Amino acid sequence: MSTIEDSEGVATVDATDSNRIEDTEFTAGEAWTLYGSWAVTVINLTIFFCIWELFAWSGAINPLFLPAASSMFSALWEGMTTTAPPGAVISGSIRDHLLYSLTNLSIGLGIACVIGIPAGLLMGGNKYVETVLSPYVWALASLPRIALVPLFILFLGFTVKMQITIIVLSAVFPIIINAWAGVKTTEKSLLAAAKVFGASRRELYFKVVLPYTLPFIIAGIQQGIGRGLIGVVIAEIFGGSKGLGYLITRSADTFNSPLMYAVLFLLVVVSLSLINITRWLEAYVAPWRRIDML
Amino acid sequence: MTLMETTPQNVAPDQSPAPAPAGTAPVIVTEGLTVGYKLHRERKRLTALRDISLSVNRGEFVVLVGPSGCGKTTYINAISGLVDPWEGTIEVNGRQVTGPGPDRAMVFQDYALMPWRTVESNIRMPFEFQNLQVSKDEIDERVRRYIELVDLTGFEKSYPYELSGGMKQRVGIARALVSEPDILLADEPFAAIDAMTREAMQSELERFVAKTHQTVIFITHSIDEAITLADRVVVISFRPGQIKEIVDVNLPRPRFDYDVKMLPEYVELRDHIWRLVKDEALQSARGEKR
Ligand SMILES: Nc1ncnc2c1ncn2[C@@H]1O[C@H](COP(=O)(O)OP(=O)(O)OP(=O)(O)O)[C@@H](O)[C@H]1O
Ligand SMILES: [Mg+2]
Repeated sequence: MSTIEDSEGVATVDATDSNRIEDTEFTAGEAWTLYGSWAVTVINLTIFFCIWELFAWSGAINPLFLPAASSMFSALWEGMTTTAPPGAVISGSIRDHLLYSLTNLSIGLGIACVIGIPAGLLMGGNKYVETVLSPYVWALASLPRIALVPLFILFLGFTVKMQITIIVLSAVFPIIINAWAGVKTTEKSLLAAAKVFGASRRELYFKVVLPYTLPFIIAGIQQGIGRGLIGVVIAEIFGGSKGLGYLITRSADTFNSPLMYAVLFLLVVVSLSLINITRWLEAYVAPWRRIDML
Repeated sequence: MTLMETTPQNVAPDQSPAPAPAGTAPVIVTEGLTVGYKLHRERKRLTALRDISLSVNRGEFVVLVGPSGCGKTTYINAISGLVDPWEGTIEVNGRQVTGPGPDRAMVFQDYALMPWRTVESNIRMPFEFQNLQVSKDEIDERVRRYIELVDLTGFEKSYPYELSGGMKQRVGIARALVSEPDILLADEPFAAIDAMTREAMQSELERFVAKTHQTVIFITHSIDEAITLADRVVVISFRPGQIKEIVDVNLPRPRFDYDVKMLPEYVELRDHIWRLVKDEALQSARGEKR
């Protein structure tokens, strides 16, 4: 215990703590915990695709249903490096469709955030808003969104508007519900501490509730991305002439199974990368919730 | 983060008046205080504290002891203005308590540190929320000084999740002391700290309070800690918490300059308080008086 003014008679343990924090090198074990899972994943996937390739070659399944992994990858390569000639109904190009779907997804997610975050915060912060809105939120959140697609086609036709509406409706509820739960579960002792040290109502919201809720909101967006992607594909399968969902139905109709598998693979990649970005974001804004560090 | 950001309307409701002259003026007066909680699920209300009348003088060090769940935390929560009394009155510096104020600071039993703030930023919190007349340089200096006081130099930029339990508790202590409030409400502030450090911190606190003339209400489970620190030990009975006995401790100060535990008076006091608490703790353990 170091003292304010060093007077005698007190057991003064002068531990300057700066020397307790020092630079260290990675041990092999730590490197393994950090990068080992990547190595395993790479090997794991390589084996998976090799087995797939061999299985397809063996001819046990009609290549129409299961093309070789290599032909999927070449369809993917071709699709991502070429653009469709003007006027072509279905060419091997994936790039334009991917861009179209991603654009719609980001617009939809953006709108879902703009609506969902304030709505969730308000529901958590205000009892009246909560009582009024919660039945609608729960009803719409539990309704399978695909059931609404025919309705929106009726209202809006096969338009981008219809597709974006479906994406927004798919993504907005996890965002609302998570933000709402975040506000509700804000630790009472943190609020008490802020009050004791003089925080006004406004400061309680902006300096305690909001930072506490931030990781919840990000978790909501993460779920929203997953749901939004489903929304994108559903909307495009039902109606439209562009996008990855459309490409799946078209390639199936034209018996172009390598292309179809390439699109499915791409969907997995897109979904995983978006979710990983939000994971990283969550760990970055809320390091205290990084429980996997244990 | 700085004083600049705080606006005049941030002033907490209970701005304390000019401090009364040191002496025996009562600073905290609770009269017939009854506090409890509504248990909404069971449509019941639980009386945590019943009819507490206690008056604490300026510069006095009062320690509350009593079995777990007897309402010690509830009492200082009421004084800090976090919970409203059902009956009775609480006056601080002659004014009715209607909410928290900058004249009272608190060390929380569960630390209550903002996990998104660094050690330094947590300790700076009182200056951020309260419109105290302290310059920016003075704030920096004080934050540094109090981090040093609780021996956390080098950990300014650490987050609470990177600290041990005892370190977190020390951050909570520094946060309560940094604004140098009239009244310090400390809820088992040394509970998570090892015996050796604990003794050092106790002696530090005694010296600190002697210098600042702060009025302290301090909760502990340790009878030794109670006697070494207190001017008066208030023993609270098990549910509903009532004052069972108030024990004056008139041992000479500073008590860390000599081996206070060897004094016959100390041993007597210890035995006396121990008996009082034991009865209550036994009842608490048997779950009587529910
Ligand atoms: N927020 C609350 N809601 C309902 N009941 C509560 C609440 N806080 C405390 N109580 C009840 O009030 C009683 C007194 O609690 P309090 O926290 O004041 O005890 P304590 O003396 O500080 O105990 P400990 O020594 O274990 O900290 C307990 O019986 C508890 O069940
Ligand atoms: Mg307590």
